[in-house]
Amino acid sequence: MALDRRRFLQLSGAAGAGAALAGCGGFSTGGDDGGGGDGGGGGGGALDFVLWGSDAEVAAFQAVADAFEEQEGVQVRLQPTPFGEVLTTIDTGLQSGSPPDLFRITYTDLGVYSGADVLLDVTDDLPEGYADAFVPSLWRAVQGPDGQVLGVPHHTDTSMVLVDTAALEAAGVGPLPTALDQAWTWEQFADACDRLRAALPEDRFPVGVNWQLGGAYRWLGFLHQAGGRLLTDDLSGPAVDSPEGRRALEFTRSFFTNRWVPPSTSAKGTYVDELFPPQTVAMVYAGDFLLPTFEETVQGFEYSGTFLPRDQRAAAELGGNAVVATREGSNTQAASRFLQFLASEEQMQAFCTATTVLPTRTSLTNRDLGYRLRPDLMELYVQQATQIPEDLVAQVTVPQFSAINNALVERLESAFVGGADTSEVLAGLSGDIETALGS
Amino acid sequence: MSTATAPAAGEAAAARTPGPRRRRRRSAEAAPQTGVRTRAATAYLLLAPNLALFALFFLLPLGAALVLSLARTTGVGPTEWVGLGNYEQLAGDAVFWRSVVNTAVLVLLTVPASLALGLLLAVLLDKPVRGRAVFRTVFYLPYVLSGVVVAIAGRWIFNENIGVVNRVLEAVGLERVAWQSGAVPAFVSVAVMITWGRLGFCMVVYLAGLQGVPRELHEAASLDGASGWQRFRHVTWPLLRPTTFFLVVMMVIECFQVFDLVYVMTGGGPGNATQFLPTYAYAVGFGARQQGLGAAIGMVMYVLVLAGTVLWWRARKDQEAEA
Repeated sequence: MALDRRRFLQLSGAAGAGAALAGCGGFSTGGDDGGGGDGGGGGGGALDFVLWGSDAEVAAFQAVADAFEEQEGVQVRLQPTPFGEVLTTIDTGLQSGSPPDLFRITYTDLGVYSGADVLLDVTDDLPEGYADAFVPSLWRAVQGPDGQVLGVPHHTDTSMVLVDTAALEAAGVGPLPTALDQAWTWEQFADACDRLRAALPEDRFPVGVNWQLGGAYRWLGFLHQAGGRLLTDDLSGPAVDSPEGRRALEFTRSFFTNRWVPPSTSAKGTYVDELFPPQTVAMVYAGDFLLPTFEETVQGFEYSGTFLPRDQRAAAELGGNAVVATREGSNTQAASRFLQFLASEEQMQAFCTATTVLPTRTSLTNRDLGYRLRPDLMELYVQQATQIPEDLVAQVTVPQFSAINNALVERLESAFVGGADTSEVLAGLSGDIETALGS
Repeated sequence: MSTATAPAAGEAAAARTPGPRRRRRRSAEAAPQTGVRTRAATAYLLLAPNLALFALFFLLPLGAALVLSLARTTGVGPTEWVGLGNYEQLAGDAVFWRSVVNTAVLVLLTVPASLALGLLLAVLLDKPVRGRAVFRTVFYLPYVLSGVVVAIAGRWIFNENIGVVNRVLEAVGLERVAWQSGAVPAFVSVAVMITWGRLGFCMVVYLAGLQGVPRELHEAASLDGASGWQRFRHVTWPLLRPTTFFLVVMMVIECFQVFDLVYVMTGGGPGNATQFLPTYAYAVGFGARQQGLGAAIGMVMYVLVLAGTVLWWRARKDQEAEA
């Protein structure tokens, strides 16, 4: 069990969450300023940037900060913070009137802050046509309820199906689709799983799916592939209790009843990436950010990858992070310029290649970025990321999405291992969504 | 009438008492009072730093949590005051009640186990055995380790696919156990790791308690023909009561603080089989960002622990009174 990025985030989350709970009822203070700053953000000069990240990511951010200082003469002080403490650090700063100037945020957490109207609106600072340079669905993710621009889509991640080549060949599965329009249908994927199930011993499984805990929203990929939606078009109520929702839930539930997935990998279960290297699973739904870990931990077998299965349509999940500035920051003009600098073509390419994540600029998604690690797979990941539906992005960035994702964890868990009836699960989830949205 | 006259006579007598004598009596009463006041002032002065810290880091957050539990908020943006709305929501929340039951079961399983095993180790390591210091250190080590580290060890040990326990079971021809996908095995795995983590603390406290048992009592009991078990039962165990009381309170409180281990080992699953009050408070407060509801769970935990401690304390007082 190597200390990869996922594990780092998970464990730092646990440690940070423990700290947060220890002070139940209040918020933990932010991390060490690190720069001897004045708390609020540099007194009009320097910018304070709260972020989390692996060593490689922090180093890549530092390189951007150094380049910005050289060009603009404004220091950007990084405040690396454990993943589990980032939001409480930001909340504390906002509540005490001394927020950081900039912070890194997952797309699915962004809605809380855009809904609270605490983010800097940079719409007027952007040149004409600036948005056209980005993948539309990812640009949508940084827009507020009224279309205002509240940050930059810094990078994205998405999942693909990585496969143990020899195990698939032994089961007679193949060849793997190598073009998006040839991606497996659900039926073809089910056939592959059945063949693997028949060929593998009882303690090995055809596939592992990464829908655990905070990743429960990845189930929405199945929902959208089936042609369904979580929320109504106007995002005001639930739409999951539908024939498409039923189809998606029954298909994913069959992963457990057919023993395609290890029973321990339910929505609250084991992260599946730790089951791929020991060959407990022959295929795994895995994000591109896991490739550095797999390069170290996968020993003794070859692995390749293919696109996510499709049903009525193709759909990939929205992963990755944005960077935003706060409205009450001390130097909002410099913060706005830093956002554009960070999302510039040159800086984005350098960051993506250094950290094995996917770009959000269309000019980079169509170009060989020179990934040093598994460029063959990264090329497929870049293509897969183009399948993130814009309407899915709109749903996972509503301000109430944290509560909705939490409900999704509970309801999927009850469906996968609790034996709950499909209708009951969908009705319950709809009720939870109504409560969360206040509809 | 007589009752009315007597005081009047007394007052009259007091009025007739010569002045200097009264002054002497007054000064004799005032002297100890002044001394008490001075000593009390000194005591408060010495206590002041602790009281200030207690107020700052306990009472203030407690008050803030109480206020937060009456609101609906995500932590940023507007706050809506809902009175007892969060508590009403909890009353109808099945997962909350499941968490209450799970926490109670965890107390019943882990507190006696931690105390019994801790006492056993303490008794064994109280004797002059070779390598005693090493054993004491080894058993105490899990307690000083981070909960996350203990949890990672738990994941390695109880992973149902690649874990040590199932490999050993397979090697000896037994069936694998669903440590992560089975409700009861998952609960057991968490309880085992919690007990293992606390064992060292109980051992050390009991060791300290054993040092306070007078050797003469054991010698006297031996001379009276008491066996080893009888000496433990009738001499050691009664004298360890205050230690046991302290440990019970501490262990129960720790059951209401269990978080990192569960978060890393099982995430509260499968289903809600290992969902405890602290993990549910986190899931609600920080996962779903319903921080008022999370604070309400925190307040419920506080009241439960306080009530449990008071009841346990009273029971002990009654026992002592009977003894």
